[in-house]
Amino acid sequence: MRSPFAYIPRPRPLQLASPSAAVAYLGSLVVVAFLYSNPFVLLAVGLSFVIAGRLAGAAAAVRAALWMGFTLALLIVVVNALVVSRGETVLARLGEWPLFGQVDVTLEAILAGLVLGLRAAVVMVAFAVYSACVDPDRVLRALRPIAGRSALTATLVSRLVPVAAADAARLRDAARLRGPGAAPVGRAPLARRLLAGSLDRAVDVAATLELRGYSLQSRDPNAGATFSLPQRGERRFTGGGQGRRSRYDRRFYAVGALVLSVAVIGKALGADAFSEYPATEIGVATITLAVAAVVALSGLAPLRRMPVGSHREPRWVRNAHATELGQGSPGA
Amino acid sequence: MVTKPGIAPALALTGVNYAYPTAEAPALRDVSFELSTGEFVLLAGRSASGKSTLLRAACGLVPHFHGGEIEGRIEVAGIDAIASGPGELAAVVGYVAQDPETQVVSTTVSAEIELPLEMRGDPPASRARAVEEVALALAIPHLLERAVDTLSGGELQRVALAAALVTRPRLVLLDEPTSQLDPVAGDELIWLLRRLNEEWGVTVLLAEHRLERCLAAADRVIAMASGSVGFDGNPRDFLTWAQDADSALETPAAKLFSLAGIEPLPVGVRAARKTLSSSEHRGKGSRTPSSLNLFGGEESAGRERIAEKVQDVRRGSGSPSTVAVAVRDLWVELSRSDEERRDVLRGIDLTVGRGERVALMGRNGAGKSTLLRTLAGLTDAVRGKIALRSEIALLTQNPSDYLVRERVGDELPGDAGQAALRVVGLEHAVDADPRDLSGGERQRLALAIALAGRMDGEALPGLVALDEPTRGMDRARKDDLVGLIGDLAGRGAGLLVATHDVEFAAAFAERVVLLGDGVVIADGPAAEVLSGGWYFATEVGRVLDLPGVITPKQGAEALRGSPGGSH
Repeated sequence: MRSPFAYIPRPRPLQLASPSAAVAYLGSLVVVAFLYSNPFVLLAVGLSFVIAGRLAGAAAAVRAALWMGFTLALLIVVVNALVVSRGETVLARLGEWPLFGQVDVTLEAILAGLVLGLRAAVVMVAFAVYSACVDPDRVLRALRPIAGRSALTATLVSRLVPVAAADAARLRDAARLRGPGAAPVGRAPLARRLLAGSLDRAVDVAATLELRGYSLQSRDPNAGATFSLPQRGERRFTGGGQGRRSRYDRRFYAVGALVLSVAVIGKALGADAFSEYPATEIGVATITLAVAAVVALSGLAPLRRMPVGSHREPRWVRNAHATELGQGSPGA
Repeated sequence: MVTKPGIAPALALTGVNYAYPTAEAPALRDVSFELSTGEFVLLAGRSASGKSTLLRAACGLVPHFHGGEIEGRIEVAGIDAIASGPGELAAVVGYVAQDPETQVVSTTVSAEIELPLEMRGDPPASRARAVEEVALALAIPHLLERAVDTLSGGELQRVALAAALVTRPRLVLLDEPTSQLDPVAGDELIWLLRRLNEEWGVTVLLAEHRLERCLAAADRVIAMASGSVGFDGNPRDFLTWAQDADSALETPAAKLFSLAGIEPLPVGVRAARKTLSSSEHRGKGSRTPSSLNLFGGEESAGRERIAEKVQDVRRGSGSPSTVAVAVRDLWVELSRSDEERRDVLRGIDLTVGRGERVALMGRNGAGKSTLLRTLAGLTDAVRGKIALRSEIALLTQNPSDYLVRERVGDELPGDAGQAALRVVGLEHAVDADPRDLSGGERQRLALAIALAGRMDGEALPGLVALDEPTRGMDRARKDDLVGLIGDLAGRGAGLLVATHDVEFAAAFAERVVLLGDGVVIADGPAAEVLSGGWYFATEVGRVLDLPGVITPKQGAEALRGSPGGSH
């Protein structure tokens, strides 16, 4: 079974866009997630990625990343609540704990943990959308001018996630097949093994890339253009090189620039009003809500406009026609 | 010095010594030889004899990618491979590694094959044509639009070969390319290489453990032993050398002739049959394969003996008290993509008895691994019934997946762990790091992990299943595995082993189940199933074409037992 994070070519704007345009768009939102701590803006960034992922057909990747992200967020909330004793609103005094010392659980620490967890979850969803929607083949080619002498760097950037996802599935199976008398596979050993194994495999893939001539200087700077033969026309959105652009590129560059501009200006105007301690204060000024709205709406960038002449009537209209013709009922 | 590519040998090594970083012993010692353009050369040798290192050195990965210290001179088509890197050599050499999964860098087959041409800077039209031609040559045009992660191991191996050949290199290096292929695909690949070698003039250097599969196609054999060239000559002389120097490198047909005292040793089935049917041998009273008969009697007697075995197997495996697993009308559906789902297993009926050794065979994609995964609960059936008398221990294709800790004892703590280690003979390695164990020992450790806690004292679980356990193994290690399987069966476990290796199946199995497209197409004693066909038959079975004769020993007895078989 394929990993939900595996790239699947689809004729949708985010997949059709050049890697640099897609990275500019997704990257601008990630920058906002790191630039802001205001929960409304962070939620807007998360919402934007969820909308973008769904519009790009990567709903499974978004679901999987949300599940993993919320698990991680919960862990961060618990750890932060136990480790940080700052804050005015003490919810529980848990006494002296080894290593931790005096443990006071405060509302402010929980809320601060929630913000940190939310940011981590948002970044995970961002990488899920990137992994599922941006063609690693084109990323590999796009990286060649800047990482041409380092196949390993290119492999780590473009292939580590798919390789790790495939390895994780195999390791999970092997963990299920361990006898009840064998030591249980804890998350930490499994994560270590997964990371080490993925890096080893990435090195093998990098060796293959070297053998394919990745570090050679290309004779023709325009060689990245895709197939020109008519029978290979359908491959235009699966392969191709670093030189190919898409009609959606400008849209993604523009949305990315808009999001970054609004975020920077908003930050300067105090849109990121948020303080954790000693008492939590969350800014809900108009400027904050405006930034959040722009960021959330940017998730619509991968929306596909239906081609001229292919307009489909809504289902209820089609059903109504069918009823008139005696082919069905409105409730069918 | 750089020689003109057209005149220079395809590969020339002079006094090459090489050691991997941190390795105590050198991997290559004073290796010197030359390959002429258009030669088809088989690289033989045991595991860790230096075959893979030699291939990596010939394509520039050693020392450029792996590091280490190298001495001597390596030239590929006149290009100094030590001074140049693998990128510079990419135009003249193609390399196919053992594990096809590690040599795929693109998401679609067409992009994967096109990549080397794009890196070289070929124009789009030329690339499209080259991709089309190599796809046709390798019979994979139907795969061009597929995502690489939906391909089977065999398909992936062909794609990797296509990517290596698409630049029309002068030299192709292949490291055990048939290790994941079924017998049909393996034979097809070898003869395809031979055809490309003859028609395109490509020099082929092929490392293989299953020599019987490719010896007949080779012009020359180079045998590695402890990092040095132990033998360099023609295939017939190689068999004579192997007879004295390393019997693990003998092919089954050569062993058959050797045991029966017939000369010359055959390089393949055709040569063996020709020798056996030659007038010289007939003159001495020997029998042609078609007239030979089994057990020194009439051929019909042999067939009766097999029929009895069939009845024995069916009676034994069906008895409720001895059943390890019984599968009835099992259907499993898997998805190849979001939209496409297909039935991988279609109404499987199978019973395996305790203590029974069963080989599960069939083509790539026939459903062998899916059946084992379903028995172990990793995959859900859509219909059917599985009755397991006790637990099942499954070892998947990659034993390293089971090893997550730095100490063997940490993987298998307590009495249950110790008992499992004793069963696989690794009780002495409790304090070792699993990464320091040999390939065979790692496999045993993974099996112990799967067994731990599933044994009642020293008694094994009802069924032990192994999925392709001989990938990359030399014959000596396979013999060890045959011993372990026999030991496990002797302790009462039913053994169900999915394998493509016909000779291995003949060595360990008493029964063979052949799957084809998700259904059982043959189920009977190994002697019957492995002697009655062409692809799923041992080399001895193909040479003699006698019912029930599948191993060199059985074949030699049949030859000696035939009237006049006095060689």
